[in-house]
Amino acid sequence: MSPQQELESIESLWKGGIEEALAAYRPATSFIGEAHAERVALAAALVEVALHLQRLGGEAPSPPDLLRGDLCLARASRLLAQTRQQPLQVAFARAIEDLAVQAAEGRGAPAARPRLLEAIASAR
Amino acid sequence: MIANQRLHVQTARSTHFVDLTSQVQQEVERAGLQSGRVYLQSMHTTLGLAVNENEPLLLADLEAMLKRLVPVETTYLHDDFALRTNIPADEPINGHAHARHLLLQPSLTVLVENGGLLLGKWQSIFAVELDGPRRREIALQLDGEFAPRDADSGRRLIEIELERQLHGDPKLVGDPMRRLVAAGGKRLRPFLVLLAAHLGPVRDPLRAATLAAAVELIHAATLVHDDYVDESPQRRGKATVAAAEGPARAVAVGDYYFAKATRLIAELGNPDVTSTIAIAMEAICRAQIDDLEFRGHYPGDETTYLQVVRGKTGALITAAGVAGAQLAGAEPEVVERVRRYGDAIGVAFQMTDDVVDFSEQSGKPLGQDIRERVLSLPLIYATEDRELGEEIRRLLAGPMADEQVRRVISLVAQSGALSRVNNQARGLVREAVAALEGVELNGVKATLVDIAHSVVDRDA
Repeated sequence: MSPQQELESIESLWKGGIEEALAAYRPATSFIGEAHAERVALAAALVEVALHLQRLGGEAPSPPDLLRGDLCLARASRLLAQTRQQPLQVAFARAIEDLAVQAAEGRGAPAARPRLLEAIASAR
Repeated sequence: MIANQRLHVQTARSTHFVDLTSQVQQEVERAGLQSGRVYLQSMHTTLGLAVNENEPLLLADLEAMLKRLVPVETTYLHDDFALRTNIPADEPINGHAHARHLLLQPSLTVLVENGGLLLGKWQSIFAVELDGPRRREIALQLDGEFAPRDADSGRRLIEIELERQLHGDPKLVGDPMRRLVAAGGKRLRPFLVLLAAHLGPVRDPLRAATLAAAVELIHAATLVHDDYVDESPQRRGKATVAAAEGPARAVAVGDYYFAKATRLIAELGNPDVTSTIAIAMEAICRAQIDDLEFRGHYPGDETTYLQVVRGKTGALITAAGVAGAQLAGAEPEVVERVRRYGDAIGVAFQMTDDVVDFSEQSGKPLGQDIRERVLSLPLIYATEDRELGEEIRRLLAGPMADEQVRRVISLVAQSGALSRVNNQARGLVREAVAALEGVELNGVKATLVDIAHSVVDRDA
């Protein structure tokens, strides 16, 4: 499935801010190479939307939003697997681990975007 | 498969026959070699190997023979340090020992049958010291069909690795997960990883254990979020993470371990394994959404049920076996057979869970799935019953107090749906076992067959 098809298949999220997030990550992925840059940007956008849907560090999410968030995380993981770039996979996972710990510490909703941009940059 | 090991012996005299038989047998058992060969190779030029009778007077005869044939008193150029060059500082005078070594063997092979060394009644394996006393090393290579580690040792390995992976995690996420993991579980998925990791030429128990633990952590992370969605108060007899820690923590714990498991798998550096698990995780999440949506059409139909079950339960069970086989570098045909096996037992596992939910011995509050409107095949079949179906549908449409739950359970039992589902699950187990026929499974077939049967032969 192409990144565009991936987006179409999660149309409901498009309106939920994924388009804006995707645009924000695209410049950061330009060093990755044409074949995978869009996948990585989409993976980052999906993680951001997932954590937003799940209200990580905030109030209790609705069950459907929690599960949709899980689906976004899983899809991001699959997109990163398709790149076959281990440093990126590890950096993304570590970013989510850090954000989850911040949330568990009760420090409010963690800022996902800077941490994810940092993860992308670390794989440069 | 080939396993490599080393034996170390401390010899006590200048010439010394050391019986290695029990040590070699122990290594065969430790490695689980069932049928094949043990190659022994002395790592020294003055330590020979032999098979003979362990009778003290005979050993004295053999020692005397070596001395007679190759006496110490003869001149050996090897011992003339004035003639030799590059002599190590600790070089011994041992020309006789090298010469005696020519009468023995530097290596030997012993066959193994049914897990035991194939030796005659009077045969023993000896390391023959010719220049002792010294500490000696003998290389062993075990080649053939290995039995998988037994269930107990496999389980211990899984528990140790899970403990290792959870050790040091931040308390706020680590403690709830440690409690969930400590509360038990069948560990079917990690055990499948360990078994399937025997199916190819690349054997690395430590990497397999890491993959096994990661797969179990993914399963546990999905349970944490599932329990939140289902508002379940208890899991494995303990308060769920959501019930004990609150929803915000449950979300964070699930996300943390979802990510950590993904990282552990990525760090293994096998792209096929990473992809297999990532695809499975997506299938699980999609099925969970479907499950929630289909609850609006409760109790649903068989097609819907199978769609949800293949994703929610089957996907990770299948992926566990496939990923284990991929980690071992198994042949594509073997990976495909494991995939078919996993798919069949995954569905059979959930069908049996559904049947068990109607039993008093399930360990769960009776009728929990009915109260939580979880898709259940016995319930689907029972609602199709001409005589009883209508009453069941009517009860399910109304409030479900204890009385109504008990009545539904009784009607499902009367309808014969439980035995119908049970038979279907057993049919799937037969399919799973058939999928293992005709391919080389490196000695794990019997255990895989046992697991397939254990999936349906249970009441909890």
